[in-house]
Amino acid sequence: MSDSTPLLELDEIGKFYGNIIALQGVTTEVRAGEVTCVLGDNGAGKSTFIKILAGVHQHDAGAFRLEGEEMRFSSPREALDRGIAAVYQDLAMVPLMSVWRNFFLGAEPTKGVFPARWVDKKKAKAIAKEEMAKMGIDIRDTEQPVGTLSGGERQSVAIARAVYFGAKVLILDEPTSALGVKQSGVVLRYIVEAAKRGLGVIFITHNPAHAYPVGDRFLILNRGQSMGNFAKDEISQHELTQLMAGGAELEQLQHELEEAIASK
Amino acid sequence: MSGGNKVSDQASAAVEAMTATLTGDGDERLAYRGVFQRLLVRPEIGAIIGALAIWVFFWAVAGEFGKAGGILPVLAVASTLGIMAVAVSLLMIGGEFDLSSGAATGALGIVTILLVKDVGELGGAGLSLWIAIPISFVVALGLGWFNGFMVERTELPSFIVTLATFFILRGFKLGFSKLIIDNITVGRIDDGHGYEFFNNFFGSTWTRNDHQWEARDGIYTALVLGGVFLVVLAVYEFSYKRRETLNPAGLVAFLAGIAGAIAGIFIMHGTDGVGSNTLAGVIFAISGLVGFFGLGLWRYERQEMGSVSLDNEVRMSLAGGVVLFLIGLLCAWQLGVESQESVLDLVGFAKWPLVIIVGLGAGWYSLRKLGLAAVDGVAPEVLGQVVAVGGASAFSVYAFMFMSTEQGLRAILFALFVMAGLGLLAMAAVQGGRISPATRSFALVVVALVTTGLAFFVRGQSTVEKFRSEMFSVLLACALVIACWALVSAFFAQRRFSDEAADRFATRLSLVGMGSVVAGLLIKLLFTTAAEIEAGIPRAQFRVEVLWFVGVTALATFVLGRTKFGSWIFAVGGNKEAARQIGVPAARTKTQLFMIVAAAAWLVGLLLAFRLNTIQSGTGNGLEFEYIIAAVVGGTFLTGGYGSAFGAAIGAMIMAMSKQGIPAARWNSDWRFAFLGVILLAAVIANNFIRSKAEASR
Repeated sequence: MSDSTPLLELDEIGKFYGNIIALQGVTTEVRAGEVTCVLGDNGAGKSTFIKILAGVHQHDAGAFRLEGEEMRFSSPREALDRGIAAVYQDLAMVPLMSVWRNFFLGAEPTKGVFPARWVDKKKAKAIAKEEMAKMGIDIRDTEQPVGTLSGGERQSVAIARAVYFGAKVLILDEPTSALGVKQSGVVLRYIVEAAKRGLGVIFITHNPAHAYPVGDRFLILNRGQSMGNFAKDEISQHELTQLMAGGAELEQLQHELEEAIASK
Repeated sequence: MSGGNKVSDQASAAVEAMTATLTGDGDERLAYRGVFQRLLVRPEIGAIIGALAIWVFFWAVAGEFGKAGGILPVLAVASTLGIMAVAVSLLMIGGEFDLSSGAATGALGIVTILLVKDVGELGGAGLSLWIAIPISFVVALGLGWFNGFMVERTELPSFIVTLATFFILRGFKLGFSKLIIDNITVGRIDDGHGYEFFNNFFGSTWTRNDHQWEARDGIYTALVLGGVFLVVLAVYEFSYKRRETLNPAGLVAFLAGIAGAIAGIFIMHGTDGVGSNTLAGVIFAISGLVGFFGLGLWRYERQEMGSVSLDNEVRMSLAGGVVLFLIGLLCAWQLGVESQESVLDLVGFAKWPLVIIVGLGAGWYSLRKLGLAAVDGVAPEVLGQVVAVGGASAFSVYAFMFMSTEQGLRAILFALFVMAGLGLLAMAAVQGGRISPATRSFALVVVALVTTGLAFFVRGQSTVEKFRSEMFSVLLACALVIACWALVSAFFAQRRFSDEAADRFATRLSLVGMGSVVAGLLIKLLFTTAAEIEAGIPRAQFRVEVLWFVGVTALATFVLGRTKFGSWIFAVGGNKEAARQIGVPAARTKTQLFMIVAAAAWLVGLLLAFRLNTIQSGTGNGLEFEYIIAAVVGGTFLTGGYGSAFGAAIGAMIMAMSKQGIPAARWNSDWRFAFLGVILLAAVIANNFIRSKAEASR
């Protein structure tokens, strides 16, 4: 692991909604070319965590540093401009539109001068195909509607799009939760692929079996609290699962059960 | 299809796919889609087929539709309707409606006229058209902006917001007309200063009878035949597999065929006798076959054609097709040509058995469809449905007999049975293609023969003289093309992989070909000959609206397909939230769409003002639904996100043909709206069907 400044650094981040503590004392880091996994059960604060990173919400405590510089985003646009791209579960795709149009939606390459300015279709299609190929998928036909793609392929279009438009940090919100075993595997491969290309990836999931093989660092959240922030060599998959499921509480429960059985 | 067949189909597909990868011909996961399949996924294709069918139908029933005098009025009606339909289709693709668009056309015309009118005490601004036209344009943009702003701000459905605007405009039109000039007829625009100048853009006409061109027919024939030839070439290039090296012998045969065909045409034009015409026709046909076979030899790879073997399926389709076709001919032959007698009287006492049989038949069929015939004790709601289907069918048969004349019945039965017959025969060719190329060609030869028979039947039976001779040659030409197809598809191997260079070349060929056909038709429409004038053809006029219509359609098609804004229209209609998340200015895009519709209404308002010189306060009210129907008929989704401007233009043509065709066919035009309703329903069902087929083929 390199000793240079991390791409993204979170130090004791906290978020409060009135008297409700949504997130408290969360510390982790994301390095270029690495995958940081954020694990947690439902209601653990994962959504709040993403929203702070993506600029939807602002943090109320702690420090949030991007390339060593203290940050406080006021809008998703600002986060995007600084290279933090979030791929949400609903993917922000238009199902009836073709792959290449979705890929470039809102930022179509054009040629000609106003008012005779049109979309450079050939270039757009070539780039879309090439970017998808870099992710390791050979898209069959960039004219086909996104709605006809499989869930994993759709996810990869969203990832490739974020990467192409200059993301340095890629936040993936539960990309595998709606997918089957095989499709999940495919998406996990894209995640590794994106990290290999030098991005810092934040992979949010509730499945340790998905997180452990691809992750370099693990942040476990439970009820808004950080349950720990580990590098891969500090933790095994078994321990990760233990922690996820409530960790110490589970051990305590097991202990009590054993005592109860022994005293019978 | 039996299970065994399916397995072997899959196996052969797999083998094909593997060979494709091995030879590096494209992607193995991508099932190759032929040119027809690729065409079917276009949203406008259903409308184009429908428009052609309706045109031929009215042409057969009322000869008017084959003549310039009948087509030009249709174009005039289609133009103003079409300009609006195209703009409305953009808005609908963007996911919104504008119910005020019809009323806005009249309103903006009235605004312009009121601005130029100088009526002393009563009011009116008395401005020059140079000022009034820009002002009304600004008013239009303001109106569109208002609609868009209200929809975006209130987040109410545009249906409600624009319904309100519709009533407001309706009230304004009447109120201001009465207030300012105390009249519901607002005129006249030709009082305005600058009328002469603006009339060039909004009111000029081209009178066909004043433009003679003796070379017209020669040029027309050359352009149309040449164009069709190029399109056929393109289809071959799309469909067949290229040889590694070209075969010069084939080229010689190809050129000889072309020379022979041209000679045939010259003989046909140069002489008048029946004998020499027949000779010319035979020369043309044989040259065509030789030429296309030569083309195949020259460019495409040979294949094993196998032998003709008919299985049960193909045999049934062939026999069924021929029988349906003969029934069609029988209907046309037996029923009265000029008879205006009601079908109800014609059928006499047989009407009741007929109604009962149809009702019971439909009921039985729906019961079978519901799959409950075998279950004891049919559930009451199923029974209700069966009774409803049966009753509705029985009633529609009765209503149809009540509405239709014998002449109409003849046309409908003839068209239906002949089309169904040809359709079944075409299906036989598809089924035969699964057995062997030779079997497919056999079925195609049957289709060619039947089409030839149809040509002679039409020549012998049709009452409309022009239709008779022209349809005769068109049908013979179709038969020839099918025969050539049968020949070539038996001998040469189809291409089942994509070849971008070949596809691009073929696309260019087909575009040039279609352009040439359109140019030929246009020349025929624009010019007349001394012979026609002598024969005393009625005056026919082109109005400048047609140019605007073409221009607006082309512009909208370009914007949708090729610009950023076009992508954004699809995006805001398809998934507004996603579009917004990713940085598309959704609210602005939608507002601009409303403004585009209003601008189109301004254009149409001006065109109407210059055409009619006066505008009634009710002008345009209620037409908004026609625009929406035209867009939907043209393949635009009511739910947004999908559609085509070109399709909407074709939809407008369909509407205009129905409007003009019903009186031209001397049907009772009171029933016009019922007819429109049926067309809308048929179009939507057909579109849905085609789309589901197309999506399955992806």
